[in-house]
Amino acid sequence: MRKHLVGWLCDAALVLYFLFALFPIAWMVILSLKPADQLFSTYFSFSPTLDGYRTVLGDSEGIPFVRFFVNSLVVSVGAVVLSLVVGLPAAYASARWRFKGSENLMFTLLSFRFAPELTVIIPLFVLYQKLGLFDTYVGMVWVLQLVTLPLIVWIMRSYFADLTPELEQAALLDGYTRKQAFFKVALPLVKPGIAAVSLLAFIFAWNNFVFPLILTSNEAQTVTVGALSFLGGDRPKYNLTAAAALVSVVPPLLLALTIQRYLVRGLSFGAVKS
Amino acid sequence: MIRLSGIRKTYGKTVALDELELEVREGEFFCLLGPSGAGKTTTLKTVAGLEQPDSGTVALGGEDMRGVEPYDRGVAMCFESYALYPHRSAYDNLASPLRSPRHRLPAAEARQRIGAIAELLGISGLLDRPVGQLSNGQRQRVALGRVLVRPARAFLLDEPLSHLDAKLRQQMRAELKAIGAVQHTTTLYVTHDSVEALALGDRIAVIREGRIVQTGTREEIWYRPHDTEVARAFGRPRINLLPGVVTERGVRSEGGVELPVRAPVAPGTDVLVGLRPRDIALHGGDGHELTGTVYVTEVLGRSVEVTVRLGTGEQRVSLVAPRADAARLRPDDPVRLVVRPENLLLFEADRPERPGRRIETQP
Repeated sequence: MRKHLVGWLCDAALVLYFLFALFPIAWMVILSLKPADQLFSTYFSFSPTLDGYRTVLGDSEGIPFVRFFVNSLVVSVGAVVLSLVVGLPAAYASARWRFKGSENLMFTLLSFRFAPELTVIIPLFVLYQKLGLFDTYVGMVWVLQLVTLPLIVWIMRSYFADLTPELEQAALLDGYTRKQAFFKVALPLVKPGIAAVSLLAFIFAWNNFVFPLILTSNEAQTVTVGALSFLGGDRPKYNLTAAAALVSVVPPLLLALTIQRYLVRGLSFGAVKS
Repeated sequence: MIRLSGIRKTYGKTVALDELELEVREGEFFCLLGPSGAGKTTTLKTVAGLEQPDSGTVALGGEDMRGVEPYDRGVAMCFESYALYPHRSAYDNLASPLRSPRHRLPAAEARQRIGAIAELLGISGLLDRPVGQLSNGQRQRVALGRVLVRPARAFLLDEPLSHLDAKLRQQMRAELKAIGAVQHTTTLYVTHDSVEALALGDRIAVIREGRIVQTGTREEIWYRPHDTEVARAFGRPRINLLPGVVTERGVRSEGGVELPVRAPVAPGTDVLVGLRPRDIALHGGDGHELTGTVYVTEVLGRSVEVTVRLGTGEQRVSLVAPRADAARLRPDDPVRLVVRPENLLLFEADRPERPGRRIETQP
């Protein structure tokens, strides 16, 4: 009897949390389906329409949302790929070799995540203007390294540290070079970690707001800033912002679903000693 | 062939290898015996080039190996942790050396070799399986196979039989030395099991706290152990070590026990007299006679371990006798033991800082 009661209470708590967690999203969905003239009505009944989505994806209203969307994909994927290329060897090296100042170096890398982006954004803006990086893909991918690189290096470092070095030592004695030992032995074994950390880094890059706000204007602008453009003008079009926001949730969501298999294993891997 | 001289290796404040000297001859099967933490694995890794010594030199075939990368040293090593590649099948693990740039073989030839080695180690049926699905004993054999499958200047084997069950271990111990590759290749074999060392080693080195205490053939280690700890390490039941005092005629132990050992030691010195359980006879024969009473007997299959209280004191010795001789013994039965004076070993008394060294006896 008591057990039943506890179970029932747990279920009730979960339902409550479910409502709490999904309420904002439900609100956004409803908002995005409202016709423009019923936006500010507070009662619940309205005639749902997909016009909002049509407008957003049809690039009407003079806002090239589809381009922003593609921009977001390009700079986020670009940032993650660059961070992996640079960060995986860095993570491996820092996990395997201690040298003078290595801990300080790693801490410095982490410290890039401490300071709010706003503290550096003005000088960056000036530099980007001078260097011709303002409003370019290269500029965005580069600046997003501040977001993705520390994340990837620090998480992958613990993955590599959890691998016994004897595996690579065995490869060395099998006749492989250190580089081959890294690519053929160490790297395949941290694949789940790479999947998990790539997703996280992608989401962080995708969600970043301050850098594209200040360092892009039109050509390389991303969805986070782009979605807000619908609020400008004489009448804020909340329904369009809501539709744009919901569309921009789709890529991280799809990505998370496809690599879910790796994700659970990946995120718990570092914590549990096998 | 393998020569380590003056090797010192420290990890922070811990000294792992302390001026270690070791020489393994060409084609020899050499056992390195010691308790865990003595520096056995570090020694192997130093030979392989996986650990860099703080000082001292490693030479393989007369060449100084300083600055030579592990993959250029041409040695194969079997890790105690197996170090199998968990994302690959047993076959791919065995094939790994044969696919590497340094030991590459044509695929067909590699397949043949792997087949032969797998047959030899009794893992032919497991080759398709990922190593994660193998038992520890099977993994250990795959790890050993990965070493034997390729030609090498030297094999470095780190406790390669430790995780096999008792029966398989005994069988593999017997077979290991018969394997052609092992016969022709210099092998440095690390173990903490003295039986394994005695059974396998052409020569044996005893390592303790990062130093080689004694190197020799099994006879030398058995009959002329460097100190009491080496003597205790070999032989089950363990050697009997009777404390005593040197007198004009020999050594007097507690309870009026006299032992005929002569050595150039001043009378009155505290010593330990070593008696191997198998060197004590229960019934007759030539030699020095000791009397005592049976304390306890324990049947070990075909033989019996008899513990005897010597003389009138509490001094006890163990001996191993054939079952037929000892079957009727009961506690407190009087017995007469015979020892041959040449089988007695004499040691300095143990001191807290170091075990007692052996003292050369005089006939």
